[in-house]
Amino acid sequence: MFPPSLRSLIEGLARLPGVGEKTATRFALFLVTAEEDYVRLLGEQIQGLSSSIRPCHRCGFLAQVRSPDEPPLCSICADNHRDRSQLCVVGRMQDLLAIERSGAFRGRYFVLSKLLSPLDGVGPADLPLEALARRVHEDGVREVILATPPTVDGEATALLLARELRPQGVRVSRIASGVPHGGDIEYADQITLGRALEGRQLIE
Amino acid sequence: MEPLLLEHLAVREFRNIERADLRPGRRLTVISGDNGQGKTSLLEAIYFAATSKSFRTPRLSEVTRHEHAIASVRARFRDGPGGLSREQLASIDEGQRAVKIDERRPPSLAAYAVRSPIVCFHSAELELSTGAASARRTLLDRVSLFLEPGSLDHRERYRKALRERQKALSVRGPDSPELGPYEELCARHGSAVSRSRGRAAEAVNACLPEMFSRIAAPGLTLEAIFKRGGSDDEQHMLQELAARRARDRLRGAPGFGPHRDELNLTIDGHQARVVASQGQHRALTLALKLAEFQAIARARGVLPILLLDDVSSELDRDRTAALLLLLGQMGAQIFLTTTRPELILTPWVRPLERVDVRLESGALNPIDAP
Repeated sequence: MFPPSLRSLIEGLARLPGVGEKTATRFALFLVTAEEDYVRLLGEQIQGLSSSIRPCHRCGFLAQVRSPDEPPLCSICADNHRDRSQLCVVGRMQDLLAIERSGAFRGRYFVLSKLLSPLDGVGPADLPLEALARRVHEDGVREVILATPPTVDGEATALLLARELRPQGVRVSRIASGVPHGGDIEYADQITLGRALEGRQLIE
Repeated sequence: MEPLLLEHLAVREFRNIERADLRPGRRLTVISGDNGQGKTSLLEAIYFAATSKSFRTPRLSEVTRHEHAIASVRARFRDGPGGLSREQLASIDEGQRAVKIDERRPPSLAAYAVRSPIVCFHSAELELSTGAASARRTLLDRVSLFLEPGSLDHRERYRKALRERQKALSVRGPDSPELGPYEELCARHGSAVSRSRGRAAEAVNACLPEMFSRIAAPGLTLEAIFKRGGSDDEQHMLQELAARRARDRLRGAPGFGPHRDELNLTIDGHQARVVASQGQHRALTLALKLAEFQAIARARGVLPILLLDDVSSELDRDRTAALLLLLGQMGAQIFLTTTRPELILTPWVRPLERVDVRLESGALNPIDAP
């Protein structure tokens, strides 16, 4: 029904997360009839992504490439107002963004990009353990906050990192899990409630 | 104790049932039909509405009628004739499960599964007393769910952590640094599984002697002794796992942990597996299921619904009548399937409290009771 080049554009767009064939078709038809400048600029931006955006050499988050000989540095690592002594370790970039949105953390991050999972072929050697240790040492980090997800692999990764980091004399903590804010205790599920009780804190 | 009641059932695109609406009998619903017409599927649909699981398969995508269909079962349950009612909906769309209670999503699948307790007797359980230990562990796990809904999460995490540890052992050997973290998780969740199975075994044992005495010859004592395959102590379990790395690697399977739990059945102190006759095994299985029923009833405060899949197939008229009478005495609402409805004689049920339906090629037709 569609000309071949439009057809293949639709197929390409449909691979984007959250986009099905219907939405991809809408996007493609919009682009075909859209202003030429807009489409050209969009195309250039997409094309330039791989050369303009690189993982930050310090934390693994996304960073703008400024010049070929300067290692990419993300906006968080470049921000001198952020607390160097606290380092939050996350599994994925999305988790970093979620914590950033909370506004509750003023330290810096380290993105693992992977979690331990022998079943998926990910062992300790596949995790950036040396880079993390170097970061802790170089920045004089006093506390590492492990914010890997509360899944089995996320927990195992946190336990492994704790074992690796403690000998460096750094304080290692794990994010708490518990009852959502504004939530009723009555409606919390038993697992969350059980964890909240296990992770209870003294009121001083 | 009041019985849980299923008051209305709407099945859509479930196995070979395109559409079926059922208004069950207050005490008994007899589902008859020839083989392959969808009788068991209807029971499975009731089980699915109550638990969001199937008793026939772990692969839920199997239950949709065809590849693109959305299988759904909507059920109105009531906690006893004077209790509150609620509408539960379980559905499968492209292998994804969704559940709702009164149009709201419950906090977890475990929370959903304990709302409307149900106990199912089906053919695979005829070997509960003679077959593999896994069937008896599953029975304990179903009881655990009602004693401690969090036990499901521990079980799933234990299974996953144990598989990761075994894989790390086989690929990277007994000194790999990720073994420690996974063993810590195995010990944390495995010891929790051991503790909740222990409590479930106690609950089952508290009901078992009475149930067995109603079925078997008088004077025999049945005991179910819970034998731990692991430990209920986290530290002990951690030490055992660390000490067994080389052996577990060689065996290709972990030799210590709740995945090796066993519920040993004894009659008058002797192993039932060795001494029991075939008739006694049947009595044993039935007693275990009834003990499950009663343990869940006590934990939940309401009598579970009973599902019986073709239990009369091996029994003659008198034995069927005796079994039905015994089950009737439990006071629960009963659903049963049969190819021979003429055998299902229930003088203990008032006519208005029994509904008979017939399934033909997935379609439900009301019929008069024999």
